[in-house]
Amino acid sequence: MALYLHIPFCQARCSYCDFNTYVGLDHLYQPYVSALIQEGRLLAQQYSQPVGSLFLGGGTPTVLPIELLRQVLTTCFEIFVVEDSAEITSEANPGTVSLDYLQALRGLGVNRLSLGAQSFDEGELAMLERIHDVQHVGLTFERARAAGFDNLNLDLIYGLPGQTLTSWVHTLECALGLAPEHVSLYCLTLEEGTPMRDRVLAGRLPAPDPDLAADMYESAAECLASKGYRQYEISNWSLPGYECAHNLTYWRNRPYLGLGAGAHSWGVGLRWWNVRPVMAYIHRLMGARQTPWPSPAAEDGERISRLLEMGETLMLGLRLVYEGVAEADFHQRFGVSLEETYGDVIHELTGAGLLAWDQTRLCLSERGRLLGNQVFAKFLPS
Amino acid sequence: MDQSTIRNFSIIAHIDHGKSTLADRLLQATGTISERDMQEQVLDDMELEREKGVTIKASAVLMHYQARDGITYQLNLIDTPGHVDFTYEVSRALIACEGAILVVDATQGIEAQTLANLYLALEHDLEIVPVVNKIDLPSARPAEVAQEIEDLVGIDAADMLPVSAKEGTGVEALLEAIVARVPPPSGDPRAPLRALIFDSHYDAYKGVVAYVRVVDGALDTGKAIRLLATERQVEPLELGFFRPQMVPGERLLTGQVGYIATGFKTIRNVQVGDTLTLAEAVGVSPLPGYQPIKPMVFAGLYPTEGEDYTLLKDALEKLQLNDASLIYEPETSQALGFGFRAGFLGLFHMEIIQERLEREYGLEILATAPSVAYQVTTRDNRVVTIDSPAQLPDEATIESISEPWMRISIFTPATYIGPVMEMTTKRRAEFGQMEYLDEQRVRLEYLMPLSEMIVDFYDQLKSTTRGYASLDYHFDGYRQGDLVKLDVLVNNQPVDALSIIVHRDQAYYRGQRLVTRLKEAIPRQLFTVPIQAAVGKRVISRANVKALRKDVLAKCYGGDVTRKRKLLEKQKKGKRRMKMVGSVEVPQEAFMTVLKLGED
Repeated sequence: MALYLHIPFCQARCSYCDFNTYVGLDHLYQPYVSALIQEGRLLAQQYSQPVGSLFLGGGTPTVLPIELLRQVLTTCFEIFVVEDSAEITSEANPGTVSLDYLQALRGLGVNRLSLGAQSFDEGELAMLERIHDVQHVGLTFERARAAGFDNLNLDLIYGLPGQTLTSWVHTLECALGLAPEHVSLYCLTLEEGTPMRDRVLAGRLPAPDPDLAADMYESAAECLASKGYRQYEISNWSLPGYECAHNLTYWRNRPYLGLGAGAHSWGVGLRWWNVRPVMAYIHRLMGARQTPWPSPAAEDGERISRLLEMGETLMLGLRLVYEGVAEADFHQRFGVSLEETYGDVIHELTGAGLLAWDQTRLCLSERGRLLGNQVFAKFLPS
Repeated sequence: MDQSTIRNFSIIAHIDHGKSTLADRLLQATGTISERDMQEQVLDDMELEREKGVTIKASAVLMHYQARDGITYQLNLIDTPGHVDFTYEVSRALIACEGAILVVDATQGIEAQTLANLYLALEHDLEIVPVVNKIDLPSARPAEVAQEIEDLVGIDAADMLPVSAKEGTGVEALLEAIVARVPPPSGDPRAPLRALIFDSHYDAYKGVVAYVRVVDGALDTGKAIRLLATERQVEPLELGFFRPQMVPGERLLTGQVGYIATGFKTIRNVQVGDTLTLAEAVGVSPLPGYQPIKPMVFAGLYPTEGEDYTLLKDALEKLQLNDASLIYEPETSQALGFGFRAGFLGLFHMEIIQERLEREYGLEILATAPSVAYQVTTRDNRVVTIDSPAQLPDEATIESISEPWMRISIFTPATYIGPVMEMTTKRRAEFGQMEYLDEQRVRLEYLMPLSEMIVDFYDQLKSTTRGYASLDYHFDGYRQGDLVKLDVLVNNQPVDALSIIVHRDQAYYRGQRLVTRLKEAIPRQLFTVPIQAAVGKRVISRANVKALRKDVLAKCYGGDVTRKRKLLEKQKKGKRRMKMVGSVEVPQEAFMTVLKLGED
């Protein structure tokens, strides 16, 4: 089982972000952490499977004083069965964490750090309304190394308004110059309600060109491959052995428990998600002694039928570009073969050059990686 | 009952000039309908009519009025359809009358269709009772408007009755004028029965109900009747009068207006303009002027969801029950699947049918570009009439193509003469004449191909003149033209539903526009999609929809699989609504692009 902990706080909101995160709620840090711990305690009784990965995401988990993170993590180790080999990741913002803080974090058992670098172009960082500038990335990265982190990820964004292929290649080269173990390349999505989308719609920022984004993606893939990074997922590359175990759980459609405001959980035919506002979440957990099923904080959920689970397994699994979905795994899980369930669709998509069989694994073709939605949708029940 | 106490009349008015309100006042003043039962605008009983402010179907009502001379008169008000596509129906309703009230808005003056209908009435020697309505409005200029009417049609301004239908002023005087000025019906009560059918509707229990005006003779209940044009014979279930609801009676006498419940199941048997007589009568000559229904505008109607085909079929059947002028037959399009080719009297008729299908039957339909009926003469001298570009014979076998031309008349404020001239010229119109109605308003006359009018012409005219222009049109005749079929190829495959017939001079421009619009309307596919416009084998315009390169969600944040899946499901649903042209997914909007070619 994977365990996700959501920390819905940031120092500032970025212009493209539509995540469940809030600014200026410092006074709620302690009550929120208490609620988070309370939710964990209530759910740990029912979800006792060993935890293979733990992920502190946000928001920005590192806005919390280290003492609060200590409360969260030590409680988790106490109430869940966390495997010794577990991957424990925290997200962090460049320029906001000191060496002491990082050392303390490492000391708490966090063994992987994911830094939201996003870009190595000052203008782009300003447009994204990030709080850091280019030099902070290298600085924080080196501090993390000094604090003992030997598994570091950098998040980068491409397909930005006004971004050129040259500036993207520059960003990528700077990032690789730091020699991270893992990189995530995300194409910008203009999300509803974000200032950046409003600016693009109002014509104050140029609309991103999807063809240019495709060029950026392809040139990045080439560059990363030449430096020994392996693309294991549509947006993720790593040195061999450094694939993100936590995210692999999502893509393999295996169970995870999400704690915190707006967190999602999945297992045994049910997916649910918690209320998003911080205060609502705290209120749900205040004084909660027993668990109204599935969680006192649950806002809503959906039953996932077997047919839907099969579709989602392909929708997620095919994102793993080499692993794909193995016929044997699928059969073992669902008792039917891929071929008998999706024969026609598979035939159509392999014919269109978007899917290919790698011996007994069904995978996206190289072209299919950029056209994943066209493939995934076909496997979802109508 | 004395024939001399019957008065049959209709009301001629422009939309919004107050016809329905005036009719309501007459019903009230004669006690035909009580204040309490007064639903606003009794005569227009379809929701759509009320919304559009036009009368689609004619209706009739019998009123009893005791005049100042002490005699009680039978007044029959025959309502006429208020728009241009139903000119024939209007003419039949008018000849069922001896008089007509001409209603003109005291703030607006006379409009194109009113004048056209007035001419129709004069042609049939109807006595005109002119009314200047809305005199209660501060902007009313009754004297000027009366003068305008006198100048135009020679009705003495002094005879004009000032009325405010809204406030009820002048209604009494109007009733007196009807009694005094409109002559009683002149038919021969001893002659064999001849009744004119001027409208009909379908009733689930009584079958097709014919609205009739008895011209000669009389009809008693229980007598079998015969229809001369359709050669149908039947024993009616019932006859009676409109009060305004149907009230059964014993006899319909010479000059009276009433209904005959025929029991026929199809409205086609009861055609407007036909003559109804007794089954036993021999050698009865039909009343003059009957014309079989002749649709002028044709379009394919397809359900947006293929599975709604049967629902569309049922809906058309039901609409046809009450609308003999709607014709349709099954049609299959390679691109759109199963649907119907429907014929309409004109563009407004088409619009109304489409709206009724969508509103009353909850159907989403896709209408192809409308077409007119072309007469094609082949090299071997045969003449074929086609109403769809798809039916056009092979180019090599065509000697010539003729298309219908219309005589159109536009009333507009003089300030818009320039823009109107420009837009009509672009549509191949030939200028006829211009006449000043007064200092500010003119009447422009043109000859114009109907095909140029059926795409967006009226809307454009309205927007060009800020809504002030009014339009009237009539069929003039067929004329040979240099016409060609413009085909559209998507991914090298001709799309039947996008073909149009155009004048050769416009083919290049239209083709280019069509290709540009389609390029915008067709989303990028997994491969490059060439779009071409071609006349015969010659490609006149071409553009490519570039292949889709990137369509993948970047991130699955914190295990929010549901949201991701919903996005994909939405995308998938969107695709299902598209029509497949070969292997290309074409959204429904793309088929509408041809309809918008008339713009700018």
